Amino acid sequence: MPPVNELPVKQSRISGRGTGALNRRQALGVLASGIASGLAACSKPDQQIIPYVKLPERVVPGEPLKFATTLPLSGIGRGVIVTSIDGRPIKVEGNPRHPASLGATDVFAEAAVLSLYDPDRSRTILNSGAIASREAFRQALQAHLQQVRQRGGEGFRLLTGRVTSPTLLRQIDDVLQLFPKAAWHAYEPVDEDSERDGAMLAYGRPLQIVPRLEKARVLVNLDADPLGPGPDQLRAARGFADRRTPQGEGFSRIYSIEAAPTLTGAKADHRIALHPRLISEAGIAIANSMGAEIRQAELPDHVLRVVKQAAADLSANRGGGLVLAGQALSPESHALVHWINQHLQAPVDLIDRADRTAAGREAATLAELTRDLASGAVDTLVLIGVNPAYDAPADLEFARHSAKASFRLHLGCYVDETAVLSTWHIPQTHILEAWSDLRSRDGTASLVQPLIRPLFQGWTDHEVLALLTRHADASPYDLVRETWRPKAQGGFEEWWRQALHDGVIAASAAPPITPGPPKLPNVSAVVTPSAAMTILLRPDPSLWDGSFANNAWLQECPKPLTKQVWGNSLALNPQEAKRFGLSSGDVVTLVADGRQIEAPIAVEPGVADGIASLTLGLGRRNAGAIGNGVGANAFAIRTATHSWTIPEVTITKTGRRDEILTTQNVVRTAADVRELYPLHDLSELGKLQTTSSADARPSLLPEQPPQTDDGHAWAMVIDASICIGCNACVVACQAENNVAVVGPEEVARGRDMHWLRVDVYDHGSAASPKLGFQPVPCMHCEHAPCEPVCPVAASVHDSEGLNVQVYNRCIGTRFCEANCPYKVRRFNFFGYADGEEYANLGLEPYRAQRNPEVTVRARGVMEKCTYCVQRISASRRAAERDERLIGVDEVKTACQSACPTSAITFGDLHQQDSAVNRQKADPRHYALLGHLGTRPRTTYLADVRNPAPGLDEEAT
Amino acid sequence: MTSVLDPALPAPRRWIASERASDVEITQAIAEPLFAPAGRMWWIALLVSLAFALWFMGSIGWLFYQGIGIWGINSTTVWGVAIANYVWWIGIGNAGTLISAMLSLTRQQWRSSINRFAEAMTLFAVAIAGIMPIIHLGRPIYAYWLAPYPNTMALWPQWRSALVWDFWAIISYLLFSILFWYVSLIPDLATMRDRARNRAGQLLYGVFALGWRGSARHWSRLQTLHTTMAALGVPLVCSVHSIVGLDFAASLMPGWQESIFPPYFVVGAMYSGFAMVIVLALAIRWGFELQAIVTENHFEVIGRILLMASIVMGYSYATEWFMGWYGGEHSDRSLVGFEFSGSYAPLFWALLICNVALPQALWFPRVRRSLPALFVIAIAINIGMWLERILIIWNTLSHDYMPSLWRVFHFTFWDWSFLIAPLGFFAFLFLLFVRLVPAVSMFDMRQLAHREGAA
Repeated sequence: MPPVNELPVKQSRISGRGTGALNRRQALGVLASGIASGLAACSKPDQQIIPYVKLPERVVPGEPLKFATTLPLSGIGRGVIVTSIDGRPIKVEGNPRHPASLGATDVFAEAAVLSLYDPDRSRTILNSGAIASREAFRQALQAHLQQVRQRGGEGFRLLTGRVTSPTLLRQIDDVLQLFPKAAWHAYEPVDEDSERDGAMLAYGRPLQIVPRLEKARVLVNLDADPLGPGPDQLRAARGFADRRTPQGEGFSRIYSIEAAPTLTGAKADHRIALHPRLISEAGIAIANSMGAEIRQAELPDHVLRVVKQAAADLSANRGGGLVLAGQALSPESHALVHWINQHLQAPVDLIDRADRTAAGREAATLAELTRDLASGAVDTLVLIGVNPAYDAPADLEFARHSAKASFRLHLGCYVDETAVLSTWHIPQTHILEAWSDLRSRDGTASLVQPLIRPLFQGWTDHEVLALLTRHADASPYDLVRETWRPKAQGGFEEWWRQALHDGVIAASAAPPITPGPPKLPNVSAVVTPSAAMTILLRPDPSLWDGSFANNAWLQECPKPLTKQVWGNSLALNPQEAKRFGLSSGDVVTLVADGRQIEAPIAVEPGVADGIASLTLGLGRRNAGAIGNGVGANAFAIRTATHSWTIPEVTITKTGRRDEILTTQNVVRTAADVRELYPLHDLSELGKLQTTSSADARPSLLPEQPPQTDDGHAWAMVIDASICIGCNACVVACQAENNVAVVGPEEVARGRDMHWLRVDVYDHGSAASPKLGFQPVPCMHCEHAPCEPVCPVAASVHDSEGLNVQVYNRCIGTRFCEANCPYKVRRFNFFGYADGEEYANLGLEPYRAQRNPEVTVRARGVMEKCTYCVQRISASRRAAERDERLIGVDEVKTACQSACPTSAITFGDLHQQDSAVNRQKADPRHYALLGHLGTRPRTTYLADVRNPAPGLDEEAT
Repeated sequence: MTSVLDPALPAPRRWIASERASDVEITQAIAEPLFAPAGRMWWIALLVSLAFALWFMGSIGWLFYQGIGIWGINSTTVWGVAIANYVWWIGIGNAGTLISAMLSLTRQQWRSSINRFAEAMTLFAVAIAGIMPIIHLGRPIYAYWLAPYPNTMALWPQWRSALVWDFWAIISYLLFSILFWYVSLIPDLATMRDRARNRAGQLLYGVFALGWRGSARHWSRLQTLHTTMAALGVPLVCSVHSIVGLDFAASLMPGWQESIFPPYFVVGAMYSGFAMVIVLALAIRWGFELQAIVTENHFEVIGRILLMASIVMGYSYATEWFMGWYGGEHSDRSLVGFEFSGSYAPLFWALLICNVALPQALWFPRVRRSLPALFVIAIAINIGMWLERILIIWNTLSHDYMPSLWRVFHFTFWDWSFLIAPLGFFAFLFLLFVRLVPAVSMFDMRQLAHREGAA
């Protein structure tokens, strides 16, 4: 009798009787106790409780509050504004005041709120895997530090990632002052070593470059990907966009010479796929054309033609020509690029690096740490927020050597690969729970303020460092304030409030340095090419270095160029794949220097011959329920000397197959591409006619919308020429609209829930792709094909021209999606958000992230983009409260506000001066599949490229 | 009952393969087996089909529990087996009504031998077809929202949707089929009542015979009612499948906007329905030893109908391709190319072989008179017609305007379940029917025997 057993009272007596032998008295007794326990559950607690009558300052239940803070990526800050409802942070937006955000976000920032609520986050202190108390940890640490202090810190090593936080750097100074013989090491999986070494070669100082794309009329990327994912993506993307509107000043020309496709390469006017070895030659050729007189560059003819044209364009644009080198190039090449840029007076600032302490200390390398570990010189290892057991170069063998240190303290958000090797693991706070400060790429400092109290009783890095320096009681809040108190102008409190409010510390950017003329580096001789394949590593566009591996939004975020989700793949170009007899999905074994991994093949046009490209950040073993075992771990074959290109790799077929999971196809059929993604040359733009009149095709249907009650007609225009395909809009939409994750099994069945997808079109050929991006939300057609086919009127038009889906009315015939030419509707085949979630996504903490203003959809109903109707509604409420009309361009959709290039414009067609009306007057304006007569409200501006007139198509 | 009607004797008559067939003999031949104990074969068949029926019910239960994600449908190919089954089963149903109504109106006497079980086939097929759109829904519990009923939401169905038309088409067709079948059953039920040997049988048949006494007035009324219903039935049967066709015609998608669909669906329905009649007629003729009543001539005539329909189908397909090319729309032309060479091309070629190529053998009288050959062709046509229905869905949804989202349907176990199990469920219902009700219309047969001069 299981129901009876569940009762807490009299359990033994009843269950002791055996099966079903309840007499009347007992039955009544059980009934009574059941009622009593039910009543007790509803009664008020014994202690005194206070009703929520006096609200805390500013908190109105259900009203969103916004706070400025800063999120790190590889230790570099990007300013954001986080929306919090009832104390729960639910959405990240860009901070327009912050120079590394400029109001936009990237995928990592957007996904940060999901990681905050990750139930897999570490919750307790672990001592060699066993749960331990805070007190036990403090005692053990103090006892150990006592010994270390007596030795003057000998054997004590601190390992961090890249540190730009002024407070943390100050604390590191304190630690090293207290332990003079100790050492601080730092490493970053996505390293910039060759860039730093290049600056050393050129200037004798490890200067940081800050390129100004907004001033670059000619941009030559030597395997550089400024528009790709990274801590400086948002600033670079805005700079790019500023130079890519035909109406604007000085439309730029971009050359990309790269080993594997990148976002920058996709948007370039001329792109060449080339082996990294030859890309350096291109740098030499450019330098030679400017009188560098290095040795002759050895380049194939068709490349040389393009490089010469690029060099000519650069020289012709003195002050507006810019060359950037990627991490895969040697320090010599970087130094050469410094020389070229100096020669061109290129728009690039040189600043001091932010990752050194006030006392001038710089971190030692990870290689030095493992060397010392191996020699037994280290007995105390303190790891702050790093995971070297997973992401350190494989040849350093960190996991093996670290065992030689007897005291291994790890502070981390997860019980990850490194935590399980440590003697002490301390749960770290999420960045949204912490006080701190960070610097952006240009040196601008901003504060990090917590949006919520630590969910899992974590510690910040400041607290742990304070423990090391015996400031055990110092709160991170005080530590951060202490850092900034001397730097405040005027009254500190006022300054502090302003800095927190703005999310940026005024005038804190690093001043540009003029270090004198750079030296020309000694360029090594040409390396004879070998027949073996070279693996090119890249940070993963969705998971970065693997620290985001347990974020389901990012795992299911289609990688910009391949659209792969839930995994990575070894990309080969079609010819190489044919040479090896491989096709997409074949699993191969990669052997490099005795180390091997397995990865599935993806055939991707645009990868250079002799190159196979693979992304870092997958193949985690201890990431959590979402990230474990997804993809191939490229770190396992990465070495300290070959951190971005691994030469001499053998590829052998295993015979197994592992289908590449994608959410959509890259469209390469010429006829389809021409129709759906028009692309114009800048020189031909004058011939285009405004197409807005062509939208008004004759129709047998009576003119229905817009029936305007209150005068709004919402519309969206997306400028394809500046869309860089970064996916920020996709994840922003997911966060804003409670869009569910379906998981890899469902993706394999062809299902996904993204309301907004970014289609990729290829105007080039298999040998040389020319890619373009087209974000596709719901078109909100005025003659919506989804509406007449719905038998229950769940798909209807509202008075402002929105095509709305009434979830409660939907019975799931799916005729609307069948009849949608744009295929933008998504169906809940299972209860993806409603009881049948993937992995642990149904667990309680995740629910706190959901936007309370957006319905969570049930199984069996159709859903789709709403133009963020809840934001429209919020603006309307605000306007009505203030007795005014909704202002021009006041409503911003989630995708729009995330977009780093402002490619998405949203507004009211009935407001003459609205941005959408301006965009619609552009001659590039077109409606996707306009000939179907659907009259979409979402329309596009065609992509524009600016190829050099002399170069024939063959060479591009 | 070879002893009653001996088909072995040379028969001069076309529709009765027996030297003599008196009223009594015919009645006996048809009614007697129902009073005899069921044979072993019937029991085995019933048990096997019962297993399928349970499988079907179990599958529906699992579907309701798990959600329609258990099928192979995906974000682009949002329709699948349920809709194809629906169209196919409705099509099967069509033939029964056509045989009874159309052939009765056109005074085709040979229909008498087959109209009863053909109508039963209609009834069961439409019932199964009616289940399909309901289980197709994401939220089947709200299927009744398609009906216009006064409700607190103050909402009516959205009448422009072809699915609402479908709802009415199925409902009216199902009701009509039941009534039409029942009306023509009344005299035979009275016969059964009179011949029943126990009280239960007498009561049961008696209640449903509605007091039929066989008076001249009764016969006159029956004739009038039946003819009137037949006159109603012909347009109804055409409209039902026309409306099903409109699901795929009143749309914006390439391949789903062809005005030829309504007539082409009607012919297609008749085509698959007659093929199914052949299969069932062969089974009943063999099971009840009715070789004298269902003659080779019957099969030959149906063979001719199939031949005609196959030519119309071929013509319809060709029209689709021609219009796709002639219209000049890139998406339409691309779709035709995809049909012949895309992911589903093997199925498409199989469809053309089953529906167009193979039935051309029916030009030869020897093939039309060869029962094994007819059986094979009938089965092939039924497979081909199912393929046609699923491919109308798959091809268009997998190859529409957005190449970025072109996706292919992948069969799951549950797709197979919903494809196969209903066939067993149909057989189960049919096996019950042949034991409870005369599978051939006795009074029609007696009339036919008189006309043929065999009585």
